[in-house]
Amino acid sequence: MDIPAFLDQLWLARIPLLKGLGVSISISFLSILVGTVLGVFVGLALTYGYRPVQWIVRGYTDFIRGTPVLVLVLASYYVLSTIGIDLGPFQAGILALSIFCSSHVGELVRGALQAIPKGQTEAAKAIGLTFSQTFLYVLGPQAMRQALPAWVNTAAEMVKASTLLSIIGVAELLLRTQELISRTFMSLEFYFFAGFLYFVINYSIERFGRYVERKTAVSS
Amino acid sequence: MSKTVFAAAAIAVMAMAGSAAAQQPASKLDEILARGHLVMGTGSTNAPWHFKSADDKLQGFDVDMGRIIAKALFGDPEKIEFVNQSSDARIPNITTNKVDITCQFMTVTGERAQQIAFTIPYYREGVGLMLKADGKYADYAALKAAGSSVTVSVLQNVYAEAMVHAALPEATVDQYESVDLIYQALESGRADTVATDQSSLAWYMTQNPDRYKDAGYGWNPQTYACGVKRGDQDWLNFVNTALHEAMTGVEFDFYAKSFKTWFGKDLTPPQIGFPVEYK
Repeated sequence: MDIPAFLDQLWLARIPLLKGLGVSISISFLSILVGTVLGVFVGLALTYGYRPVQWIVRGYTDFIRGTPVLVLVLASYYVLSTIGIDLGPFQAGILALSIFCSSHVGELVRGALQAIPKGQTEAAKAIGLTFSQTFLYVLGPQAMRQALPAWVNTAAEMVKASTLLSIIGVAELLLRTQELISRTFMSLEFYFFAGFLYFVINYSIERFGRYVERKTAVSS
Repeated sequence: MSKTVFAAAAIAVMAMAGSAAAQQPASKLDEILARGHLVMGTGSTNAPWHFKSADDKLQGFDVDMGRIIAKALFGDPEKIEFVNQSSDARIPNITTNKVDITCQFMTVTGERAQQIAFTIPYYREGVGLMLKADGKYADYAALKAAGSSVTVSVLQNVYAEAMVHAALPEATVDQYESVDLIYQALESGRADTVATDQSSLAWYMTQNPDRYKDAGYGWNPQTYACGVKRGDQDWLNFVNTALHEAMTGVEFDFYAKSFKTWFGKDLTPPQIGFPVEYK
């Protein structure tokens, strides 16, 4: 490995690489955000919805979770355009990843809510709280604490899944890296560097998760 | 009475047929002219076909083919928008109208020709052998004569061994996982020659002048052509005309300059007088 030559090329390629990193981070951020918001509703519907609603949402999560992310990405880019919804690669990618994320977060939320003892809900009812009050003040905070470690895991998965958007031509970090390799022939060096950047993103998410866990911990 | 009804019905049917003919979707050609720019699908990760320059601009031989078509359309080679697509997306992006045309080192095969319409070819690819300029072997004949003592580095592939043996039946084949490694094997002396696409070799030799040479033999021919959606003869004819005139007519200099840039070879201009197509 010719380190000085690699550093030379790395410096030359800093702008495209930073752009790719930016796109990867925005894809991940947007899809985690949208996926989490949607996922909370999915989780609520799974736990407290009327029977027919539960069936429909259960079908949705099972179907999405059983489908490879790559298939979802290709479907939102190609299949939607055949019924007249023509999304650009970036939007189609965000849509696919958000939907994928929401099904996972939905299951996390359901698991967390069901783990809370029934007595909590009964006590909330007994002091006259409405359903939304019960969720906001009693169940929500407890469920969040429960779901946080698994949520961090899902978020890291989304960052990794963002690389799949290179297939439909979104110029994220992996595609940018491949573009550099095709010009410089330094495959090992640049893939290693990209791997390092992905690690940094995921490690930051993990640290953030730990921070929130510490902040929300109940002192015993 | 019934005659009148029949006549009225016939007129109605004819009117409907007439309006249907009038509403027949115009050719892609008109659509592109109205839009003001061409949308071409190509990749960004394969030198010298379609790749990014150090200042992050898309360039390469495929890209230049798109510019030739844009120039034929608008008199301006810059009136083109590139859709970045992976090799797997070449055919789906045509059939789902994401692009007007795809020029992305696409090998013409009968299977693909059932799904999309191919234009006339703009390049003929083949496998070649690259040697070190000051190496032990002078050319293809010397490599072949040396038999099993020759080691060939090649990209890992199910057909790699058979591909090499078609040209050098007794040679030892070493497979590597990436392009940089097959060149490195030659440079470090672990291999005596590299076998890969001639366009890749030509580009590599242009990048590293006087260090390597071509062994002077090519095999495994493949035709590269652009692809458009099936069923639009007007648009297909237009692209064919543009490409044809780039290789034989008014835009020959554009094509030849691009050929020189990416493959390092000067082309002789087509013979003046009797059209070269019929020689």
